[in-house]
Amino acid sequence: MQAYIIRRILGAVFVVFLVGTFSFFAIRVLPGDFATASLGLDAGSASADNIEQRRADLGLDDPIEKQYANWLWDTVRLDLGKSFLTQNTVWYEIGRSLPYSIELGILIMIVGFTVAIPVGLISAIFQDKALDYSLRGLAILALAAPVFWTAAIASLVVLQWDLFLIDVIGQPHLWEDPGKAITWYLIPMFAGGFAGTATTMRLLRSQMLEVLRQDYVRTARAKGLRESVVIMRHALRNALLPVLTVMGVTIATIVGSQVILENMFNIPGIGNKVLTALFARDNPVFQSVVLIIAVFTVFTNLVVDILYGVIDPRIRLS
Amino acid sequence: MSERSYWQRMGRKRMSRRGILRASARAGVGAAGLALVGCGDDDDDSQSVAQVQQQQQQAEQDAQQQAMQQQQQQAMQQDQAEQQAQQQAAQQTAQEQTAEEQAEQQAAQQQAMVSQTKKYGGYFVEQSANVYETYDAQRTVASPVLQVLARVQSKILRFSNPDTGELVGDLAETWETPDATTIVLHLRDGVNWHGQGPGANHPAAAPGRALTTEDIVWNIDRQRNKLLESGEEAGNFGRSAYWGGVDSLDQGDMSVTLNLVEPDATFIQGFANEFNLINQPELVGGTEDQYTEVDASKVIGTGPNILTRWDPGEGISCVQNPDFWGLPDRPWLDGWVWVQTFQDPNAYRIAFEQKQVDSMTDPDPNTIFAIHDDRIDETFLTFQGVANTVAIFTPSNKPPWNDLRLTRAIDLAINRRQLIQQLHNGLGKVSGPVSWMQEAWAIPQEDLETIPGYRIDKDADIEEARALWDAAGGPELGQIDWVTSELWASRAAWSATPGIVAEMFNQAFDTDQFNGITKPYLEIIPSWIAKDFDPFFSWIPNIEIPDARADMIGAFTTGAGSNYWDVSDPYIDETLIAAKQELDYETALQMVRDVQDYVMERGQFGRSICYNYIYPYIGYNYNKIEKKSDEEGWNFLAVSLQAFEHWLDLDDPSAADRQAPEPTPL
Repeated sequence: MQAYIIRRILGAVFVVFLVGTFSFFAIRVLPGDFATASLGLDAGSASADNIEQRRADLGLDDPIEKQYANWLWDTVRLDLGKSFLTQNTVWYEIGRSLPYSIELGILIMIVGFTVAIPVGLISAIFQDKALDYSLRGLAILALAAPVFWTAAIASLVVLQWDLFLIDVIGQPHLWEDPGKAITWYLIPMFAGGFAGTATTMRLLRSQMLEVLRQDYVRTARAKGLRESVVIMRHALRNALLPVLTVMGVTIATIVGSQVILENMFNIPGIGNKVLTALFARDNPVFQSVVLIIAVFTVFTNLVVDILYGVIDPRIRLS
Repeated sequence: MSERSYWQRMGRKRMSRRGILRASARAGVGAAGLALVGCGDDDDDSQSVAQVQQQQQQAEQDAQQQAMQQQQQQAMQQDQAEQQAQQQAAQQTAQEQTAEEQAEQQAAQQQAMVSQTKKYGGYFVEQSANVYETYDAQRTVASPVLQVLARVQSKILRFSNPDTGELVGDLAETWETPDATTIVLHLRDGVNWHGQGPGANHPAAAPGRALTTEDIVWNIDRQRNKLLESGEEAGNFGRSAYWGGVDSLDQGDMSVTLNLVEPDATFIQGFANEFNLINQPELVGGTEDQYTEVDASKVIGTGPNILTRWDPGEGISCVQNPDFWGLPDRPWLDGWVWVQTFQDPNAYRIAFEQKQVDSMTDPDPNTIFAIHDDRIDETFLTFQGVANTVAIFTPSNKPPWNDLRLTRAIDLAINRRQLIQQLHNGLGKVSGPVSWMQEAWAIPQEDLETIPGYRIDKDADIEEARALWDAAGGPELGQIDWVTSELWASRAAWSATPGIVAEMFNQAFDTDQFNGITKPYLEIIPSWIAKDFDPFFSWIPNIEIPDARADMIGAFTTGAGSNYWDVSDPYIDETLIAAKQELDYETALQMVRDVQDYVMERGQFGRSICYNYIYPYIGYNYNKIEKKSDEEGWNFLAVSLQAFEHWLDLDDPSAADRQAPEPTPL
């Protein structure tokens, strides 16, 4: 088990290195840089001296290999540099953004799993009944509807009837002003939650159907156990194993996967930050945030894999 | 209203009669030309002494004005009644006006009466840019920097009417020109640098100090010599060429005399250029090595507001300067708040519709029109031209384009109106060699409609273009790459532009020779300077003052800095130099018009100006702006006027349920 964990950790470090290197070169391959992007449509008014001086101030005129070596050395020392845009350290920017992404991610997960697990369960129990068809239909609808579409329609409904305040400027945290924060997060959490529901619900349903046909479930029923006990204690626990994997992957991606929703509702999370950095060609923020997302994703998956082994000895042994 | 008003013309062409009535009714009494909106709380308990004094002064003024207003209102009501009677008669006879139009006219009159009673207080909230290259106006080329600094810093002079270029004193109370090469500025007494705020607290600053002639001389010398305090030369003083027109400076007690290198009738307007803000030498000189690190502590000014926060990407705010020396009752607003750029239009729309910000614009004008239609009773619609002119540059200084027939063929083939339709939803107007935004100097739209290259009858242009193209051997030129700036093409709505431009020429010349490609400004600008550039389409440098003479001289006179085409024509040189020195305005206008006609007959020598596009803005009716002229709205040079002219009518029904944030306090 120890060798397995060490192997996985080394592999994860290599993946993170590759992602970081890719992000470093990716933003430099794109047209323009911060020196011109920061001028917006006034760039045509700049003199060549002006742009060159700006590039020199930012170190963008260094040879690419020198920039890469500097970045690598600084990153190893956990010095992620300063944002071109705000002049704050990248660690400060990440520290400011991460709580928003985690808040939104947790809310989305709560909505998603709270809906998906009972719906998947009910759908399996009432297989091929009207209720099953209805729930599966809704799941397909949730899967088919793009999250930005659902969120945009919901926003227009709220605006049309002035239902509640979506505080896109105040940007309160849940612990600061729970009332305002929850109404701000309401649409993205449900839009994101429902979109994620479909996959989990359908996976749980198929797993439940498979488990319910197993011999040990038949045995449990034959022994006269109540149906609720059979479902909850014997079937659900086993059906949840693959669902746990999906949940793990979902948790791993919550930090960086809400780009659309964060931007639609002006949530200054990691997704919003990476997009802003990309548009502004804010190299230090972009490459560092991508790196952090990669670290978070890779290591959360690693933890899930290890836990999986702990839960199911067959995996560990194989 | 002047027939030269571009707003009127644009409206007549692009909007329905009902639409223009609606827009003008609101824009006429509220903000116009700019996205002017604000918010606030009249009942703020923490008012400063100065605010209380101002309110007392206002109360006294209100009392004096009340009688006059009553008379005005009676007169207006009488006029209104007469107008209604006239309208009824007109309805009976011609049935031309709808009831809705009459109601809107009445609403406009009522709002005009309301606008007589200006109110103090409140915060104006709008979206800002996210990226600021520096806090030093003299070293930036990016206009968003000026949106902030124009509220807190002053210039030597400022435009009282940016449409026409009329000037009033700012830091200089008066000025005189004893001869053609001498300008004497008489500085205002009692002007002090801000004594409070983050800038005043900076160790390098000299807070509360009186403005001196040395301050003015330091600012001019710094730019004309392009030297930093360290003695290092900096290449990013954007107005150095302008200030290079000063040969020497003399200081008097409270006066500064500028001796110009040569007579220049356009020079005085440059004092009011939005980039020519006056820095405090101690603070800016002491922080020059950190000039890209933007924050409020590096900004101190003499203007009507004090900057309290400048965190790019997060928020910006300023509050009223309690020691403001300027107009006695200004500014009306307590402060300004700029919120970070909304990356997504959904967030911007939510912020506007829930009154968290007071103005809104969107790349897709249909969004703005839809919101306006939904909230017709509480919003006004207005338009603002973008000062970055769109142009096509043909390298007529080198083969094969140095054949005037080819250059002229290209100029004729450009379908300017079609580009406006394809790329800007029809919101824009064609520009001759002088942009329509430099209104007094530009060729009127109705004249352009019959000038080759701009004709409404585009087929005639195309026929002529094709004949010239064929005669000059255009078909034998092989593949031709036409460059669009990457920055332009990176905008989602304009990503197809390289193909659109190439297809425009391919269709015009019935060929497939033209390819659309993109390049960054980083390559484009040096190639202009080196006069070795590829054919180009995109924005060209900003217009900075209403007087077009400087731009024309820069582009077309022999050896001028922006003459990338090596134009060398004795007639142009002679006429434009004479125009520059001409003090009679009408004569100068005619000279510039003559040169425009001359260059247009020659395909603009490869500098084919196309158009300036227009953005629609929407704001709530509680936002008011004091109108300064009969013109329907202000143009892009009005930034600094916003600090003085804004006020809020929080009694207006549209102000209900505002959710606006407050600025960071002093």
